[in-house]
Amino acid sequence: MKLIALISGGIDSPVAAYLMIRRGVEIVAVHMDNRPFTDEKNLDKTLSLVRHLRNLTGSPIRTYIVPHGPNHITFARKCDRHLHCLFCRRMMYRIGERIAEIEGADGILTGESMGQVASQTLQNIMVVNQAVKVAVIRPLIGLDKVEIIDIARRIGTYEISTLPGLCCTIVPKKPSTAARLGDVLREEQKTDIESLVEKSLEGMHVFSPETL
Amino acid sequence: MYSLLKPCKTSAAFEAIPGERFSLDLDRCEEILKNVCTIVAHAGILLIVSDRCEVSIHKDGRLVLKTDSKDLACEQAGRIAGWLEGTPAIQKHRDWRNSERTNPSAGK
Repeated sequence: MKLIALISGGIDSPVAAYLMIRRGVEIVAVHMDNRPFTDEKNLDKTLSLVRHLRNLTGSPIRTYIVPHGPNHITFARKCDRHLHCLFCRRMMYRIGERIAEIEGADGILTGESMGQVASQTLQNIMVVNQAVKVAVIRPLIGLDKVEIIDIARRIGTYEISTLPGLCCTIVPKKPSTAARLGDVLREEQKTDIESLVEKSLEGMHVFSPETL
Repeated sequence: MYSLLKPCKTSAAFEAIPGERFSLDLDRCEEILKNVCTIVAHAGILLIVSDRCEVSIHKDGRLVLKTDSKDLACEQAGRIAGWLEGTPAIQKHRDWRNSERTNPSAGK
């Protein structure tokens, strides 16, 4: 089985990827590059995390870096601010689904854990999930942050994930915690979603396991 | 213009907090700042420029300065303040509580 792992520079997603590699799943990493709303340190951390997972597990990992900043600008300028994180995650899923087609992968793998942040309430996960048809695997869904950090420390990713790196600066002050699908779809109609996905894919950069 | 410079929780940047309440007209900020630094992105709710370091300028006046050097962050906040101070890009807020106190008939 092959999964597209959405990897940020944070604590959770490398743990999710590790758990599935350990179960024999082949992983392709996808990092959504949020610059200029973050900094280059997040990209550096992600590449270090993928290298660490490769060295830890012996599993070769191809890595896609996809520009996501222009998508943020479009949503911030045209759509309801409270729903911004849902638009962001739905785009990540859509792009993950497209890369799954390219890679012949069976689904998307995320580090989501229920209730951890505003976009990961059960209601919001359901709304995000409906952006794609492909299976979404969430090995951390029932773990709390302490449990996830314990695993991250044990596998050596915690020290990399907690290196300095600017948090996303375009996150709204009051993000929605219980979005309704109808509202999200209505707002997304103010943009050309397909065009945004295509432009993101045109701008992506691929690191083979040998060049990483 | 800025009274507090504090490191972000990840230590990757500094945040400059305005000393008084005002809001910024980011379209006007862009017009002014494009002559003195590079405009990286204008997302409507925040403007990102690049000068000595990259800076996110928020509508409420906050600056996020993308550097781990406090000296550089301080210098950069001063440069931004110097370019914007006294221009129509800054819309100062009147403190309604003070105006009520100085005008006893207010609200009657």
